[in-house]
Amino acid sequence: MFLRVAPPAGGPRLIDRPASFRRTRQLLLAAAALLAAAACGPAPARSLAFEWSLTPSPPIVGDAVLTLRIRDENGRPVEGATLRVEGHMSHPGMAPVIAEAAERTPGVYEAALTFTMRGDWILLVTGSLASGAPVEHRIDVPGVQPPAE
Amino acid sequence: MTAAPTTAPSAPARDLLRLPFIGVCLRWRHARLTLQVAALVAAAAVVLHGLLGPQIAPRNLATVVTWVHYRGLLVLALLAVGNLFCTGCPFVLVRDAARRVHVPARRWPRVLRRKWIGVALFAAVLFVYELYDLWSLPAATAWLVLGYFAAALAIDVLFRGASFCKYLCPIGQFNFVASTLSPFEVTARDVAVCRTCRTADCIRGRRAPDAPTTVLRRGCELDLFVPSKVGNLDCTFCLDCVQACPYDNVAIAARVPGAELADDRRRSGVGRLAARPDIAALAVLFTFGALLNAFAMVSPAYALEAWLARAMGATSEGPVLLAIFIATLIVLPLALLGGAAVVSWRLGGGIGSVQAIALRYALALIPLGFGLWLAHYSFHLLTGVLTIVPVVQSAAADLAGWPFLGAPLWRWVGLRPGAVFPIQIGFVLLGALGSFATAYALAERDAPSRPAAVAVPWTIVIALLAAAALWVLAQPMEMRAVELPG
Repeated sequence: MFLRVAPPAGGPRLIDRPASFRRTRQLLLAAAALLAAAACGPAPARSLAFEWSLTPSPPIVGDAVLTLRIRDENGRPVEGATLRVEGHMSHPGMAPVIAEAAERTPGVYEAALTFTMRGDWILLVTGSLASGAPVEHRIDVPGVQPPAE
Repeated sequence: MTAAPTTAPSAPARDLLRLPFIGVCLRWRHARLTLQVAALVAAAAVVLHGLLGPQIAPRNLATVVTWVHYRGLLVLALLAVGNLFCTGCPFVLVRDAARRVHVPARRWPRVLRRKWIGVALFAAVLFVYELYDLWSLPAATAWLVLGYFAAALAIDVLFRGASFCKYLCPIGQFNFVASTLSPFEVTARDVAVCRTCRTADCIRGRRAPDAPTTVLRRGCELDLFVPSKVGNLDCTFCLDCVQACPYDNVAIAARVPGAELADDRRRSGVGRLAARPDIAALAVLFTFGALLNAFAMVSPAYALEAWLARAMGATSEGPVLLAIFIATLIVLPLALLGGAAVVSWRLGGGIGSVQAIALRYALALIPLGFGLWLAHYSFHLLTGVLTIVPVVQSAAADLAGWPFLGAPLWRWVGLRPGAVFPIQIGFVLLGALGSFATAYALAERDAPSRPAAVAVPWTIVIALLAAAALWVLAQPMEMRAVELPG
C-alpha cells in the first residue's frame, strides 16, 4: 500500500511513500501534541513549606500517623488539597503502604500508615492543591525500629 | 576443510539443540544477537531512568530491574538451564560493535591469566554494594551498569578473545561458579567425531576456504576446546562453537548438576582444578560472600556494625565494613577450611598436602553457596516480581507526561515473604545436600578405603555454614543505611 504525494509546484515529481510512513508521522505528531498538552497542564505548586511529624516518634514497626502541615510562600495554611501518601522501603521490590491524607484543620493533613518492616522508609506525598496544581513531596524516614518488647 | 567423519554419533540422551522448537531457536544464527539486543534495550532503559528518573529506588527501573529482577532471574536461569545471562550479555554486543572499528591485537598478559583480579573485583562489588547501599541508589546503579560497559569495552578493544569475561568480569565469575550446578552443559555430541576433525573450528573459528585468515564463524573466545571441555567453568553459553562446528557435533547436554566439582580431569582452557588456587578462592568468595550478602540485610548485622564501631572508635562505616569483610571472606574461611583440611589430611593417612586438600574441598562449598544465593535473590524476585509493572507505568508516564499505561498499580508486589520462606529453606537444604555429596565424592576419590572419615571435617564445616545460612534467613529483614554513633 503506497501513498501518492501530489507533485509540488516546482515541477512534476512523484514520490511513493509507504503508508507506514504516514502512520509513523501521525504517531510522532500525536506524541508531540500529547507532550505539549502535558506541558500546558496546571503549573506545579511552588514555594510550599512542608512540616511533618510521625506518631509514635521515633517510628516503629506497626501503625503510625503522619501529620503534615503545609503553608504557602506567605505562611498561610494550604487548604483543600487532595493528598495521598505512598510509603516505600528504601530497597526496591517491597510492598508499599498507601494511604489517603485527610485535612484535620486548615492546612494540616493526617494519614494513617502501617510500617510493615523495620528499616529505611521513604514517604512520598502526592496529590493536588485546590487550584489543581500538582504536589509532590518526599519525606525520608530512616531506621524504623521494631516495637519495644 | 576435511570430509565429514563417518563415525556413528552417540548423541547425549537429552540435547537441547535437538528439541523440536527450542533447538531451532538455539541454533538460529542470530539467537544470541536477539538476546543481546533485548538486554541492551533493557540496559539502556535502566541507565536512562537511573540517571534521569525519580531517585526513589522502588520507583526507578534501575534499582527495580537490577536488584530485584535481573539478579533473581539470573540465578533461576542458572538453576534451570545454564549460563543464559552471559549468552545475552549486552557488554559483548557493544564490544563486538567496537571491534569493527578497532581490532584488538594484543593477547591478555600470561601472568594475568588467572582469576585473581576477577576475584578481587567480585569482592569489591560486594563491598561497594554494602558500603553505599547501592540497592537504594538509582543513579549509582546506572553508573555501575555504565562502568561494566566501559570496562568490557576498554579491555576487549585492547585484548583479543574474551579477556574481560574470562579473567575480570565479576558477574561472569559469579555465573561460571554457579553454572557448575546447572543441569546442562555445552559438550561434544560424539568425541569420536572430534578425533577425526582436523580443523578445530570450534576453537579456531570456521575459516573461509580460499582465505584462511578470514573467520566466517567465530570459535570459542574463552579457549575452551569442545572435545576436552569439562563442565561449565568459563563457558559463557555463547554457542559460537555450535555455529562453528562443521559436523554439527556440539550438544547442549543434560548432566548431573555439580558432578563436575569432583572431576579433576584436565579441562581445556582451565587445566586441573586442583592446580587452580584462584578458582578455589573464587569458590570461597562465592560461598562466604553469599552468607555475608544475606547477613547484611538482617537486623543483627546493624547491631554488629554498631558494636564494632564502638570497639574500633570508628565514625564512618568503611573501616567497620572492611573489618567484617576481612573477617568473613578471609579469616573465617582460612580457619574453617584450614582446620578441616588438617583433620582431613590426618584422617586420610597424611597423603598429599594440606593445601592441596583445602583447594580441592573448597569446591565442595559451591552448592551450598549457590543455594544461599538462590534463597536470597529468589526472595527479592518472588516478593517483588510484579513491582516491575507499576514502575514501567510510572516511567512511561514520566516520559510521556501523562499515564498512558494507566495509573501505576503500586499495590502489585508479589508473594508474601512468609510464603517464600519455605522455598528459601529448600534452596539452602538442597545446596547443603549437594555440598555433602560433593565432599563425599572427593573423599571417595582421595581415600577410597575410608571416605566417610575423610569427609567428616568437611561435613561439619558445611553443616555449620548451612546452619548459619538458615539462621540468617530466619532473622527479621532490615534494609537501611548504617548510622554509626558519633
